[in-house]
Amino acid sequence: MSMFDYDARPVTPGVVLVGTRASHGAYAIRDFLSRNGYPFEWVDVDRADAVAAVLAGAGVDPSALPLCILPDGSRLPCATVEQVAAGLGMIAAPSRSEYDLMIVGAGPAGLAAAVNAASEGLRTVVMEAVAPGGQAGTTSMIENLLGFPNGISGSELATRAVVQARRFGAELLLARPLVGVSPDGLGHVAELSDGTLIRGRGVLFASGVEWRRLDVPGVDDLLGAGVYYGAGPSEALACTDSRVVVVGGGNSAGQAVVRFSRYAQQVTLLVRGRDLGASMSHYLIDQVTAIPNIEVRVRTQVVGIEADDRLRAVIVRSGDATEPAWLPVDALFICIGGAPRTDGAAGSGLVTNTAGYLVTGSEVAREPGIDWPLRREPLPLETSRPGVFAAGDVRYGSVKRCAAAIGEGSMAVALVHRRLAEVGGD
Amino acid sequence: MTDQQVVAHPDAAASAEFARVPSDERIAKAAAALERNGIRPLLAATGADARGLVGSLLTDGAEVYNNTSQTLEAIGVADDIERSGRYQPLRLRLYRMDREMQAREMRTLAASPDYVVGSVHALTENGSLLIASASGSQLGPLASGAGHVILVIGAQKIVSDVATGMRRIYEYCYPLEDARARRAYGVPSGVNNILIINKVIIPGRVTAIIVSERLGF
Repeated sequence: MSMFDYDARPVTPGVVLVGTRASHGAYAIRDFLSRNGYPFEWVDVDRADAVAAVLAGAGVDPSALPLCILPDGSRLPCATVEQVAAGLGMIAAPSRSEYDLMIVGAGPAGLAAAVNAASEGLRTVVMEAVAPGGQAGTTSMIENLLGFPNGISGSELATRAVVQARRFGAELLLARPLVGVSPDGLGHVAELSDGTLIRGRGVLFASGVEWRRLDVPGVDDLLGAGVYYGAGPSEALACTDSRVVVVGGGNSAGQAVVRFSRYAQQVTLLVRGRDLGASMSHYLIDQVTAIPNIEVRVRTQVVGIEADDRLRAVIVRSGDATEPAWLPVDALFICIGGAPRTDGAAGSGLVTNTAGYLVTGSEVAREPGIDWPLRREPLPLETSRPGVFAAGDVRYGSVKRCAAAIGEGSMAVALVHRRLAEVGGD
Repeated sequence: MTDQQVVAHPDAAASAEFARVPSDERIAKAAAALERNGIRPLLAATGADARGLVGSLLTDGAEVYNNTSQTLEAIGVADDIERSGRYQPLRLRLYRMDREMQAREMRTLAASPDYVVGSVHALTENGSLLIASASGSQLGPLASGAGHVILVIGAQKIVSDVATGMRRIYEYCYPLEDARARRAYGVPSGVNNILIINKVIIPGRVTAIIVSERLGF
């Protein structure tokens, strides 16, 4: 029995990851573990004492990095996300030969759909490429979600939703991206990246968005070495007493600067627009502007970076200034909106708009050359293929808010019921 | 009592007095006293048996908080809770929370789990349980916050009375815990809070598994 329990860390061993900060592979694993809430210890290979401690005095072969040591002591040289997920027992096979509803994505829309579908007795499976929560899962505090007067973090919302969905019998298949969805008689068959095939009578794409890339040379080379997309919880502590720059003008950027202001010495928010009001909620603007160590620079864009083995400065151009300014920085967080995650959908022949968002409902008929096969019109949220629906941020025309995604995911289940009744057996 | 002098190990007399597994009769006497005090006693011959009992008491899918405990780690219960996938291990959930932004969520989540599983520092022959804590975080859920409490107690923790139990905490547990805290966290421990459970008024809320082995300290 401990007398000292204020740190609330797991008491059993976690994962140890040895690698270099600049390694994309190591960053991908860190990001995966962090977003899945899996405890891990990061050991930079340059810290010889730490490497010796975790490898019991042995050296490490640089060609074996990133090296992952699993809780059972087994080692994965040149580890990949897929290998780590498998090693941690996160890869499960589907338990059924067919489902009533296959949901692509475990963000707010997908999880809301899973809870509603499973609670109504639909055999439901959710396929998620990375981690439950989607883009909202990295949000530090959502303060305008109905029923949470003190706010709730995105990760906690996702955790609760996963528990709720599982309690009703929904299955979650994690850590494997969707390759595609094909017609299969009156139903559909989905293929995951490891070759797993899943059959379902209905499909809901709730795959959300991924962070849009910042189009500045060299930025993506520094991923994990001072440059981050989104503002994951694992990085906040690492920013203690540092200088942080956040790029973006939406709620995600606002929530990020509020969080980092608790840890960092100085936080600078760079906004391309003329003010924050265009895309940030009023309550967040009030918070951002009231915190003394947050500086907001509007009409400002990143035009370059300076780095050695990690990011050292960003070069910004503001307003009508003719000369760019140099801004020393320890960490740059990019929260500039999303690009739709439609890898599995786009290759399946579903109609998207020019930006890649899935077209649904009455918008489908307006698409040129559309070959809609049924006598009825597409249902709301139904894509260009009958029985395949879309909800949340991935859907063209959706409102990019967590509550809206939850609403669409819940609503989609009623429409799935109508489709299942149409094809029989509901 | 936060500034005790650092003592690396309990002295020989304390070890001799407080590390011995007592007779079966004394274990039975303590178990009977627990029952009189509203605490369900279960007896286990070994740590493995106790591990099985804990597993049979926990409900699948429940929110479970495992207190930091040498006993639980030694017999594999901590691993079962955090890694088996049968439960919602609250330590993992707390771990991924932001200490600054989510302090309120962390506080409420840790304060009221469905189950708290832990141990004690002393069990008296009259069925009182003594638990010391540096932060105090463990004590609220044990006293009333948790829906159910499961305590795994190595029989060497049985003492004659509360006064001897207090001596066990200061003279035996504290030096060992302080050394552990310095190794694990790099900071000293302290007997900052002590909970004494004399009686439980909600039937079935607290279960104490007494193991006829020396477990933890």
